[in-house]
Parts: sequence; C-alpha cells; structure tokens
Amino acid sequence: MESLFDLSLINSTLRMMAPLLLAGLGGAICARVGIFNVGLDGLMLMGAFLGIAANVLFENLILATLFAVIGTAIFSLILGYLIINLQANMIVVGIALNFLSIGITTFTLRTMFDVKGAYYDNEMAGLPVIHIPIIREIPIIGNIFSGQTPIVYLGILITILLFFFFRSTVLGSRYDAVGINLTAAKSQGIKVKAIQYQAIIISAVLCALGGVQLSLGQVTMFSENMTAGRGFIALVATMLGQSNPFGVFLSSGLFGFTEAISIRMQSMNIPTNFTLMLPYVITIVAMFIFKDKTQLNALKNNTGSTR
Amino acid sequence: MLLELTGITKKYGDFFANKKIDFSLEENEIHAIVGENGAGKTTLMRMLYGMETPTEGSISVRGIKHKINNPNEAIKLGIGMVHQHFMLFPSFTIAENIVFHHEPKKGILYNRKKAEEEVAILAKKYGMNIDPSQLISDAPVGVQQRVEILKVLYQGADIIILDEPTAVLTPLEVKDLLISLRNLSKQGKSIILITHKLNEVMQVTDRVTVLRDGQVTGSLKTKETDTGHLSKLMVGRELAKKEKTEVKVGASILSIEHLNIIENSSKKKLLEDINFQVKAGEIVGIAGVSGNGQSELIAAITGLLQVNEGSIHLADIDITNLSVRQIREAGLAHIPEDRYLWGSAKTASVEDNLMMTEYRKKAFQKNGILHTNVIRKFAKETINKFSIKTTSQEESAQNLSGGNLQKLIAAREIQQNTPFLLAAEPTRGVDIGAMEFIHEQLLMKRNNGDGVLLISSELSEILSIADRVLVMFEGKIVGEFTQADVSDEKISLLMAGGKHEQG
Amino acid sequence: MNKVKNSASKMMQPLLAIVVGLIVGAIAMVLAGESVLNTYHEMWKGAFGNFYFFTSTLERSIPIILAGLGVAFAFRAGFFNLGAEGQLVLGAVTTAIVVVYLPFTGVIAIIIAIFSGMVIAGLWSFFAGWMEQRFQINLLISTLLLNYIAVLFAGYLVSEPFRDTSSAGGVPQSVMINDAVKLPALFEGTNLHMGFIFAVVATIILAFIIKRTTFGYEVRMLGQNRFFAQYGGINRKKVMFTSMLISGMLAGLGGGVEVLGMHYRFIEGALTTPQFAWTGLMAALLANSNPIGTAVMAIFLAALDTGSLGVERNTDVPNAISDIIQAVLIIFISARFTFTFLKLKKKEGKKHGKSI
Repeated sequence: MESLFDLSLINSTLRMMAPLLLAGLGGAICARVGIFNVGLDGLMLMGAFLGIAANVLFENLILATLFAVIGTAIFSLILGYLIINLQANMIVVGIALNFLSIGITTFTLRTMFDVKGAYYDNEMAGLPVIHIPIIREIPIIGNIFSGQTPIVYLGILITILLFFFFRSTVLGSRYDAVGINLTAAKSQGIKVKAIQYQAIIISAVLCALGGVQLSLGQVTMFSENMTAGRGFIALVATMLGQSNPFGVFLSSGLFGFTEAISIRMQSMNIPTNFTLMLPYVITIVAMFIFKDKTQLNALKNNTGSTR
Repeated sequence: MLLELTGITKKYGDFFANKKIDFSLEENEIHAIVGENGAGKTTLMRMLYGMETPTEGSISVRGIKHKINNPNEAIKLGIGMVHQHFMLFPSFTIAENIVFHHEPKKGILYNRKKAEEEVAILAKKYGMNIDPSQLISDAPVGVQQRVEILKVLYQGADIIILDEPTAVLTPLEVKDLLISLRNLSKQGKSIILITHKLNEVMQVTDRVTVLRDGQVTGSLKTKETDTGHLSKLMVGRELAKKEKTEVKVGASILSIEHLNIIENSSKKKLLEDINFQVKAGEIVGIAGVSGNGQSELIAAITGLLQVNEGSIHLADIDITNLSVRQIREAGLAHIPEDRYLWGSAKTASVEDNLMMTEYRKKAFQKNGILHTNVIRKFAKETINKFSIKTTSQEESAQNLSGGNLQKLIAAREIQQNTPFLLAAEPTRGVDIGAMEFIHEQLLMKRNNGDGVLLISSELSEILSIADRVLVMFEGKIVGEFTQADVSDEKISLLMAGGKHEQG
Repeated sequence: MNKVKNSASKMMQPLLAIVVGLIVGAIAMVLAGESVLNTYHEMWKGAFGNFYFFTSTLERSIPIILAGLGVAFAFRAGFFNLGAEGQLVLGAVTTAIVVVYLPFTGVIAIIIAIFSGMVIAGLWSFFAGWMEQRFQINLLISTLLLNYIAVLFAGYLVSEPFRDTSSAGGVPQSVMINDAVKLPALFEGTNLHMGFIFAVVATIILAFIIKRTTFGYEVRMLGQNRFFAQYGGINRKKVMFTSMLISGMLAGLGGGVEVLGMHYRFIEGALTTPQFAWTGLMAALLANSNPIGTAVMAIFLAALDTGSLGVERNTDVPNAISDIIQAVLIIFISARFTFTFLKLKKKEGKKHGKSI
C-alpha cells in the first residue's frame, strides 16, 4: 500500500493531467465566449500527429511543436467558420471535426508513413525533461515539481496567465461579455466574430500543445486515434471547472490523479478495467457536487439549432 | 437644426415599411414618435442608428448629410439608442456595463476603480441615482434603464433615442424616468421618444410626430394637441365602441380563496391573499403594471406553479396543485402571456400547433393512434373559420405573422368550448384587425355563458371589454370596480400603488 | 406544385453534400497517389459490387441503423443522447452472456437474451435521463461518461468472469454461443442475418410512432418547445424517461443482434472499433432525426465503410478515407441547417417588415 500514495504520485499526476489541462483550458476559453467546443479531441489528435510528423521531417522538437501548433490552428478554422459564420450546430460540427481528424491522421499515417496502427522510431527524440535547478534541490517541492517536460510547466503558466487575463484585462472582460450576451456586445460595436475566432484559435493552440505532450512528451510515438477520448474528458474538465482556469486546473488534476492512481493499482489485484473506469465514475460523482451553468449558456446561445 | 430626416423610405420587397418620412429634431428638444404597433417607428429609428439603411432619403446631422452604415458610426455622430430590450451583461457591475467598449485602461489592464469613479461622476451630473459597483442582475428594472441611458451618455451622445422605454417600468419608475428626460434636455441633450402611450407624450415632450402604416399622419407641437386628436391620427378611424349585450351572470366558475405563493429562495411573497371569483357570463379584467404578480397568478391557475396556501376551484372541482392536464380536463382554456415561449412551437406546423390542446380528445385519437384525416379536416376548418392567414396547414408556425399566430392560439383555446378561459395579454403586439377579432371572440365566449379572466397590462383593453375590473399591485389585489363605477384615473392610481379611496 | 419543389430542395442539399464529400475523397485519393476513378470503382465494388458485398453492406448497417434510430428518437424529444456506444455494448454483452447461461436454447432463448440486452441498455440510458431530471446533471456529459464506464465494464466481464478460456491469449471474448441461438442468415452463404429484418421493422414502427400516435406527438412537441409542451399538459418527465428508455433499448437491440447474428460471442472492441454508435449518430443527424431517413443514411454510411474496406484490399488507399468522406458530409449537412436557418431569418425579416 505504501507504494500507492507518495510524493512521486503528485509528480505523475502533473504529467498525466497536462494534456487534459491544456485542452480543458482551450475548452474554457471557448466557453467564455459562448462556444461549446466539442472538437477538442480532434484538435488534440491533430496536434499529436503533426508533432510527430514534423519531428520526423525536421528532427527538431521546437520546430515540430511550432508546426503542430500552427497546423492545428489552421485546422480549427473549419470549426470556426461553421460555428461562427454559418451558425451550424456546435455539437454536430464538433463531432464531425473529431471524425475528420481521425480520418486525416489515420489516412496520412498509412499513406505517408506506410504503417498501420502506430508509428514509432526508436531513434526519435522526445520532449526533454527539465530539472529546474533551484527547485529540484528543495526536498519535497523538488520531488513534486521537478522533472517534467516544458509543456507541463507551460500548462501551469498558461493557467495563471488565463486567470489573470479574464480577471484583469480589458480584452478578457470583452471575451466574457461576448459569452454572456452576444447581442448586447454586438450592439456596442464589439467585433464579436473576431473574438470568437480568436478563442477558437487559442483553444486549438492549447489542444495542439496537449497533443504534442501526448505524442512527444509522455511517449514518443503516434498511434491511430491515440487521444482515445481525452478531448472529451478535457471537455468534462472544462465544465466541472466552470470554465475558470483554476477550476479547470483542479478538475483536470482530479483526472490526472485518478489516472496516476489507476496505473499504480494495476500492480494490485484490482482488474485494470475498474481502475481505468475510476476517472469517469469520479467525474459523475463530482457532477452531483458542482453544477455548471456556463456551458449551458453557451449551448443556449446556439439556439435555433439544438438538433 | 440638429437632426433632419428627409423623404426617408424603406422598402422590403414590394412593401413600404416607411414611406417618404420627414422628421426633425432641435437642440434640447424632446420629440415623440407615436404610432400603433407596426406603424414603422422602430424601422425609422433603426435607420437612424445605422442598423438598417434607407432605400431612399437622406439623414443630416448638424446640417451635414451622412450615410450611417452601422451603430459605431451613429455613436460617432453623437447618436445613442436605448433599446426596448436592454442590452446589458447581468454578471457585470453597473460601472462595467456603462463603460463597456470604452473602458478606462492601464496598459492592457482594466482600470475598474477609475471606471467606477467616472460613472459615479456622470450619474451625479445627470441626477441619476445608481451604485456603480452593484451587479446588474441585482438591480431593479428601473435602475437597469438608467444604466442604459448613462451608457449612451458615457459614449458622448447628444441625441438619445429611447424605444418604448416605459413598457417594463412601474408607474413610479416611469415618473422618475420622465423627470430624468426633462433634466437631460435641460442639460443640452436632445431626445427622441418612441412610444404608444399618449399620456407620457403629453407630460414630457415638446413635439410629437404620428406615424401610421409607415407614413407621417401629423407632426404637431404637444401644447397644441390632445390625446384624443393624437389617437385619431394614430388609428385613422374611431375605434368601434364594443356593443355589449346584457348577459345574465350565473354561478361562479373560477373561485380563488386566500391564495399565497412564496418564492423558494428569498421567501418573498409573490402572491398575497388573493381572493376573487369569475362567474358565468362575465369577463373579469385584471389590470396592473406587468411584474406585479400577474404571471404568478396565471401560472398558479393553470398548474404551472406550485401553490403554497389557499385554494383554486374551477367549475366546482378543486384544482389546487393539480397537473396542467388535470386542470385542462376540468375545464380550462388558456391564451398564454407569451405566444412564442408558451403558446406555440415555432418550428412545428400550424396543424401541430392547433392540436396541442386537442390531440388527446376522443375525436382525434383511439388507443393513442391519431386520426390524421380528422385532424387535417379540423385544422382546415379552424384556419378558415378564424381566417388565419397561412399558405397551408403544413406551414411552420414561425412563418406566420405575430397577429396570425395569436389568432391561431386564440382559435385553439376558444374552440375547446370550456366553461372558463384565461386570456393573458391576448392582443400584445398584434395589429388592430387581429385585436378587434380577438376581442369579439372573447365577448362571444362571455355571451355564450362562459367565464373569462382577462389579464392585460393595457388598461384600454380591459376598460373596453371587461365587466368587472380588479387591480393588482405587488402581488395583491388592491381594488375592484364594476363597469358602472370604473374610471381611468382611479385605476391608474391603484396601479401605481396609491390607496383605494372609499366610495 | 409547392410540395414537389419543397421536397426537391430538401433532397438537393444532402445530394450536394454527398457530391462535395466525394470530391474531398477524390482529393485524398490523388494525394495517396491513386487513380480516383479506379478507387471509386473499387469502393463501389466493395459496397455493392456483387450480391455478397451488397449483403455485407446491409449487415454492417444493422447496428448503425438501430443505434441511429435510438439517437434519433431521443433527439426528437429534445434530448441529446450521446450514449449510444455504451448502450450498444451493454446490450451486446448482456445478450451474449444471457444466451449462454440460459438452460435452454431456441427461439425463446433468443427472445429472452435479446430482450434482456435491450432492458439493460435501456436502463443505462434511462439512468442518464433520471440524473438529468432529478439532479440537473447535463445529459450530454453524463451520457458521454457512461459510455466509457459501460465499455470498460463490458470489457471486464469478458476478460474476467465470463472470459472464454478455451482459447489462450488474444482479445478478451465471451464463450461461443450455441448454434441453436444464432440468428439465421437471410441468404445462404452471406452474413446478412435476421437482425436486418428487426432493424427494418424498428424503423417502420418508430416512424409510425412519431408521426401517427399521441405519444409521438408529445415527443415532437417536447422536442420543439418544452414550454409549449408543458403549457399543453405534456408530462416532460414521463416523455423523457420513456424516450430515453426506448432510445437505449434500440441501441441495445443493435448490440444484441450483432452478437447473435454476426460475431456469435461478445468480443472486446468489436463494436467500438468500427464506431457503429457514432456512425449511427451521424446518420440520425444527417437525416434530421427522421427514422426512415436515418435508416437510409445508415445504409449509405455503411456502404462507405464496406466500400473503403474494399478500397484498402485492392489499392494503396487506406480505409480511413471513409472517415474523411463521412466527416465532410456531416460538416456540409450541418451547414445545410444553416442555409435553411438563414432563409428563415430572411423571411422573418420580410414578415417583420410587413407587420411594420
């Protein structure tokens, strides 16, 4: 039992939660401007794939990450155009985007890399693990925080930045205004569409980073549909966290934690399937405790096409 | 001349929403635009505010012609608009709402402290009492309206358009608003007031322009006219005075005793000790400014809201807290307050909308299977009988005009032939033709020996067809009049919260 | 006249979407370095090329139709049931286990097994509805989460207590069912089984319920405006519970017949990897939740799937091409909603103008 809970558990929680956190923050920023982004999973998958593909091409991790981020942002414009300009149903478009992403990544994987299932190259370098000089020396905190990939630290940083953005900046307040009452914001001369596009692109960037963490951080490979629904879990984290950056941090932390625990419990005599189930069960339980209205508002703004 | 509109025409297809309208506004003037619903007031103002562009005609501000393409350009010209439906952010503070899109900044940061200070100064300057740090969601409607006006002032507008500003206000709030408007004009602002309430026009304006069917039928100095003349210009003819036949009033159909409804969270009494009856062969009108408990009363009678204390009887059946279905089966028909929210499904067909209160009846179904032929025939007959204008019964309800949809709803409810009809705001926002038609239907129902409860915020509607009038204020019934002793002033006083004088 | 024109324009947009989808597919084929004509020819052959392929397409459409009908029915009542996958899997695993452990075989056993699968799947879906009704738990999220739980739980059942231990290793699966409880094939030598008849019958019954019954009327009205429904005395709770139950049962039926007619056992992943439930969801969306349209769309999407398998067998183009075409299709159809929406808006503007 002593191996189940220790300080390194927090360390692995951080590692596990990073992709969810990033995508969840992306979902949150969309929700704040009134968009219910069901396409998180597809955006993440695209990011994961582009990261690997670009790394093969350039053999440079920074370029690979950049490529993934830009490529995913461009890909997200489809979502933006349909939701913002054509006012198509957000859920339908989001789900379709996920399919498109699976289709494109799998298709390209098979045609360009000529592999089926998974691509990996033992020679390929993954994201480096950083040991922050001073922090690693501090006894307990060092164990917890040190030794993560840059994207994990970036995720924490972005959480803080986003929190600050919504609380203290003018632009943040306008984002909120668009989400709260789109017509009113429009009537005051706010360029509502531009703001919604910005939010979708930012969410795509965050999802891409999450995807890169998956494919180049936690492992160094790409497998077909490798996000395996993580984008949906991120969406749940968004909702559970009430679209507040710290809320998203805590709820994705909950997921990361249960995931980390479930991995440890595999060594015990509990069937894997039950430990894998844990995050979902806990989320449902958590939903009884926290109830969110922001997402529902986002959905309501999309009236006229709830089907 | 501060503002001048010349020969403004707006065409939608072959239809003229506005035809060759001339209008002018001087410095410090309050100029009213009055007209029936659909006379073209709002279209005209939308063009001035840049939300629509005129087909013909020109707009000049301070002698210079302008093309106003969007609200931003209007704001730059010093034109501001207070919309009928408020454009506010409930979870923002009052200050944040007022400075929105013109926020004081410190770099990229939002200087909220400065915003509150500026708003406080502005409010003081124009004598408007607000608390800048209060959340909009906590502010009463009257305050929200002040926020809307301050917002326009903060943007530096000299010309302020107010679209039906008093529709949602209590009489006291209306009084405050009118005083504020006077103040504003004294401080150099010019105001365009769109309304259809003539007494407000008489109280506060300098000039008044009357629109009918998209055209100007008169432009007068307020001092040189009166409400009678204005209403003739608005309607174009004398409204036919309703000839009411004497009907013998029978037994009580609806009887409400000691009805109380208490809000769950705040424990506030929404309805307090309501007692009244509606008898066979009479129309009982409930007058009052909207928001004084009428909605709760409607919901309580029709089964949409839980009753805390008291009882409601319908045709000798205790319907207190029964389900909507049980109450309807006991003999309720109900024209709801909001035809789009409660009264119809806009994406459904006319036929489906007509069937809502009929589909369970034996004539239309057997063992849960609908008789589609019978339904089709019934829908066709109803459409003809009530002259509902629609291309077919398959047409979806959203393609009907407001008046026709209201006719559809009235037809559906009246055809049920129940002993009791609750008609809530049955003619809100419909044209005069539809209004007269619906009134006739309500009277026929009464003459037929049924009971009708008419709830309306339009006093004129109640006065013209009700046999007995109750006045509601803050969740209570504060007065009762029979047709013989009813008067406009007495009711207005009670609606505003005044005391009912004996006698 | 008007009607003809109306339905013609209704047909136009899905057709347009299909054309665009096929064009995008063609671009992908070119990128993969294959001849477009040849690849589409292979796709056609793979889906409809001969009687065997045609029946395979129909077989593949069975779970898609049934899951799609379930989704469509809940949509009609205004409930976004994203839980078809979990319901499908639970129906399948329940049927597979019950049929093996029943002390007898034959038609009665088939009926009992399928019915118990439907009930479990229905209750799973009902559970989400109950949580929404009782605790305001967002249905979208709960149905989504319940999918993972259901799939993992079914996986557990066949990897531990009910695992077929006769074959060592490999994918976890349940014991092979008895020949007497297999659903008969409709044609000798094909995969197409009785389940297809069930799917067709379910489609017709559902279309009838929605269009011609009082319950269907209540479902439609609730879906179009819940306040209007409430005003008219429709019991939201009752309609919601019933429609969620039926929705889940249909998906469960899809899983059950797939087990008894195709795999003859529950194999982990056999129903989730081909994305039957999500394809069904797309079929429902494409058809605007019309039952017959859903079935037609399901067959079309199944044809894309089987066609792409054919493509993969005979060319260098991977079968992921069908995902791409399907996604483009749905994106274009969802834009179709918009075309009609914009038109309405214009019309409304005119109406508005007229009343002014």
